Amino acid sequence: MLRTTLAGLRMHKGRLVTTALAIILGVTFVSGTLVFTGTLNESFNAQVKGSADGFAAIVLPDNDQGDGSEPTLLSQRTLDDIAALPEVTEAGGVIRGDTPLLDTEGRVVGNLPTAGVSVGDSTRYSAAEGELPADADEVALATGSARETGHGIGDEVQILDHEGAEHTFTVTGLVDFGVGSEFSFTGAVAFDETTAKEMTGVDGLSEINVTGAQGTTDEAVTEAVAAVAGDAEVLTGQEFGQRLAENAGADSQVLTMALMLFALIAMFVASIVIYNTFAILLAQRQRETALLRCVGAGRGQVFRGALLEAVIIGAVSSAVGVLAGIGVGYAGFAIGGETLGATVSSTSVVIGPAVVVAGLAVGTVMTVLAMLVPAIRSTRVPPLAALRTSATAQGLEQGIGWVRIAGGVALFLLAAALVRWAMALSSSGPSEHGLLVVTLGGFAAFLGVFVLGPLLVRAIVAALGAPMRKLGAAGALAADNTRRSPKRAATAMIALTVGAALITGYSVISASMESTITDQLERQFPVDYTITPQFDTETGEGIPPAVAGRLEDSPAIATVITERTAYTGGGEARTDLPVSAYYGGAVGTDVGASLKSGDLSDLAPGKVVVAEVYAEGRDVGATFTVPTEQGERDFEIAAVTAGTDGLWGVTMDPDDFATYFPDATDAQSVSVRAADGAEDDEVHDAVYAAVEDDPTLQVMSTAQLKNEITDFLDTAFLVIAAMLGLSVLIAVFGIANTMALSVLERTRESALLRAMGLAKGQLSRMLSMEAVLLCLIGAVLGVGLGVVFGWAAGTVVLSDLLLTVPVARIALLIAVAVLAGLLASVLPARTAGRTSITGALASE
Amino acid sequence: MNERATLATPEQRSYAAPPAVTARDLTKVYGAAHAGVRALDGVSLEFTRGEFTAIMGPSGSGKSTLMHCLAGLDSATSGSVLLGGTDITRLGSRQLTLLRRDRIGFIFQSFNLLPMLTAEQNILLPSRIAKRTVDRSRFDHIVNVVGLTDRLDHTPSKLSGGQQQRVAVARALLNEPEVVYADEPTGNLDSRSGAEVLAFLRDSARDLHQTVVMVTHDPVAAAYADRVVFLRDGRLVGEIRQPDAETVLNCLVRLEG
Repeated sequence: MLRTTLAGLRMHKGRLVTTALAIILGVTFVSGTLVFTGTLNESFNAQVKGSADGFAAIVLPDNDQGDGSEPTLLSQRTLDDIAALPEVTEAGGVIRGDTPLLDTEGRVVGNLPTAGVSVGDSTRYSAAEGELPADADEVALATGSARETGHGIGDEVQILDHEGAEHTFTVTGLVDFGVGSEFSFTGAVAFDETTAKEMTGVDGLSEINVTGAQGTTDEAVTEAVAAVAGDAEVLTGQEFGQRLAENAGADSQVLTMALMLFALIAMFVASIVIYNTFAILLAQRQRETALLRCVGAGRGQVFRGALLEAVIIGAVSSAVGVLAGIGVGYAGFAIGGETLGATVSSTSVVIGPAVVVAGLAVGTVMTVLAMLVPAIRSTRVPPLAALRTSATAQGLEQGIGWVRIAGGVALFLLAAALVRWAMALSSSGPSEHGLLVVTLGGFAAFLGVFVLGPLLVRAIVAALGAPMRKLGAAGALAADNTRRSPKRAATAMIALTVGAALITGYSVISASMESTITDQLERQFPVDYTITPQFDTETGEGIPPAVAGRLEDSPAIATVITERTAYTGGGEARTDLPVSAYYGGAVGTDVGASLKSGDLSDLAPGKVVVAEVYAEGRDVGATFTVPTEQGERDFEIAAVTAGTDGLWGVTMDPDDFATYFPDATDAQSVSVRAADGAEDDEVHDAVYAAVEDDPTLQVMSTAQLKNEITDFLDTAFLVIAAMLGLSVLIAVFGIANTMALSVLERTRESALLRAMGLAKGQLSRMLSMEAVLLCLIGAVLGVGLGVVFGWAAGTVVLSDLLLTVPVARIALLIAVAVLAGLLASVLPARTAGRTSITGALASE
Repeated sequence: MNERATLATPEQRSYAAPPAVTARDLTKVYGAAHAGVRALDGVSLEFTRGEFTAIMGPSGSGKSTLMHCLAGLDSATSGSVLLGGTDITRLGSRQLTLLRRDRIGFIFQSFNLLPMLTAEQNILLPSRIAKRTVDRSRFDHIVNVVGLTDRLDHTPSKLSGGQQQRVAVARALLNEPEVVYADEPTGNLDSRSGAEVLAFLRDSARDLHQTVVMVTHDPVAAAYADRVVFLRDGRLVGEIRQPDAETVLNCLVRLEG
């Protein structure tokens, strides 16, 4: 049997090429992901560990104070005590504080102040480029901060000290603080020790790096240091490195999960393709199989033969896939690693045994599983079938299939019920469970399409048949050919449905999110610029009243709305109740929010607008008690807002606010609207001139924010579409394969058509139309599923979602599907056109 | 009734019409020119309009090759084939396709019909390919004569072998081609169905003035023809007019010997 199987494989290897390609692509993705993330991880580990391994011990402030307050910094005395230990050669402290870095426009960078770090003699950090600062007017920038501001080595940069005074430094080098470091969000600048102390104004150390004496083990040093360090946490360099590596690993783990998800989708699509190929191959081989049974092969032997074939194809293709995956993974790392913060040059590719084993196992097991059903079916072939000609249009005789319809409809109903349930779950706000339920609903609907697939194909072809017949004989034949084995056609197109549905679904979510956010910006903050302080509003200072004054004086600006907020606790409010008031603009027209009940314009002295969370069930007209600076006061609720956008906490009338919170005079935000007819440049200049003296104030332009959101969403879409593109590619291979196998099966038919005068061009047009029809059905079903479940998922995640169907992107997707169909039919059409008419008619 | 069918009488068939198909010195060599197999070795033949001719010969005599070359399905190594006034050996593959489409009808031994089309669709297929409008009365007449009127909506799998072959015959005749080539049309049929098909081919030659060329190895089938030509080793070796099964069989036995 083994010999027969091998001979069969050799003979039919042409028919298996695309199957093998589907497996190879899937396995390449899986093992590529493993190699990529493994190498990335190794690179991260090397970076963070390398920096800590050099020290015998690291001393950190005791983080766990139990009351959540800031940890007490290490003192200079602790450092001196440690340095004096006989086990210690050298000990250096690290000063850390806030030193806002200014960008080229003279504004602070980012929402959080840039961190200032000291790099003395004993530092874990080294310069990735250039030198560490050695002088009072020198500074090194974190690689991220340098990228964000565009500053490079040799440039002069402005940095604010703890009192807000501006200092100028020359950049001497760039420091790579590593992925997952505490500076990921803030960015960082590095000074020498004295300068760091002056700039940050921090008296105390956030870390002490200890170098042990010759011949003393790290453990001994750590023990000795712990004895003099008091409450502080003392770790060996290795332990500390381990901890850093774990933090970095968490980052790359998210990436691994995401890539693996896409890899699994690709594998799933590949398994559909493999299933279809084997189903067709074994059906075509029916007579061979029957002949084997005639000459005495048992059912078991037939089954084992088919299985063996799957194992061989799976294992060989997987091996190729693993090799390709190693290449792709490392290439990916070399190209994309730098962007993710890895040092590419010093990292060698990591190929664990897991990569090889997982790649081989996933590919082979999947192939065998996909083969099971066709293999079992092939054992049912009776020996007598050897004497019959195989029916090539078995699909036509099949009835409607009531079981199929019932099953499909039941699955669709289940999907609808799940979506409704998800909507109910998330009706009171975004819900994670809702998303899970929508996903389940998506699966149910997909299964429904799978079950109804053959009928859908028949119905759609019947509907499209009439216009296709108008296109001439080729079109009519294409429609009839698609109808003849609807199961095969359905399985081929379903593979494409997966990718099309996911791409459409994501693009619907993305487009809807974009229009929802844009709409919220326009409706709830109909302003052009918003100025906010950089530091957290709860403790930090607000915006000086002079800023609003300067803006009001500017002719380019029509409206200036200032928001004042006070945080108050106690009373019947939750722990922290923010109370705000808007000056210069009316709530309801200039400042909006999603409403649950009431009317924002009803806000008047004695009344408040309350966010739903704080209202705790009370509705319009009820009494709401606010603990003001003047004691508790009762207000009537004018409106209750929903969601987290727009108004938050309690909003009261400006006069009430002035009465009850006389101390809260600083603005928490200043929003401006341009005067009619003012040039964009004028407005920009007016806003920046108003904040010139206060570099820490953040200026946000609504237009720029919209652009940033659009850019971000577009980039995410492109990345995700590219990842799903592989699944689409595999599905197209599947369609090409189905076409190629059908062409082989129909060689005599094609010859007959040619003999009757069908031109080569018409024959290949017929095949193209068949492939395009399959691709179109697959893509359109996918688009349908994608729009519905994209909307469902979007609604669950984001309340008040404005459904936006990205018509252009969907049209592009469908155009790609048509193109894919044309490509998929190129080779089969060539084979069909080349076959000699007399040869094909003569051979039985 | 079709005009030609009513006009076609035995008297008219007797006048010397120009041949529908003429083969001159037809040679077909497979493989290299000097060492190759000579499947056809200088065959010259004429097929009179409205005549039913059978080509016979032992296996490997070149009868199928001859038919393929006559039909423009295969190209001859040398010599010429005239269909009406057209030398088809000079045509390119595109022109040949059009020629087959518009001027030739085919009937094959098996796999004659497209499985996904109904009997009617199969019969109309060549017209669809050529985008020709169909003469409905001729269609009805032919369908009626071959006895398929009640079976037009059936797919081939629901038809018997004889019925399938009659669909093929109807398809070949519908467009009034200049010549119909039939390759072992009864090879897969039982004797009764075979007789029906052959009788119909004979009648179409007589009544519809249709030129028919049939390749067969069955003397009984050949006996339905007006004329039988014999091939052996790629050469024309004999001819019988108004044959009956016995004379054909005798002739074959002589050839084999």
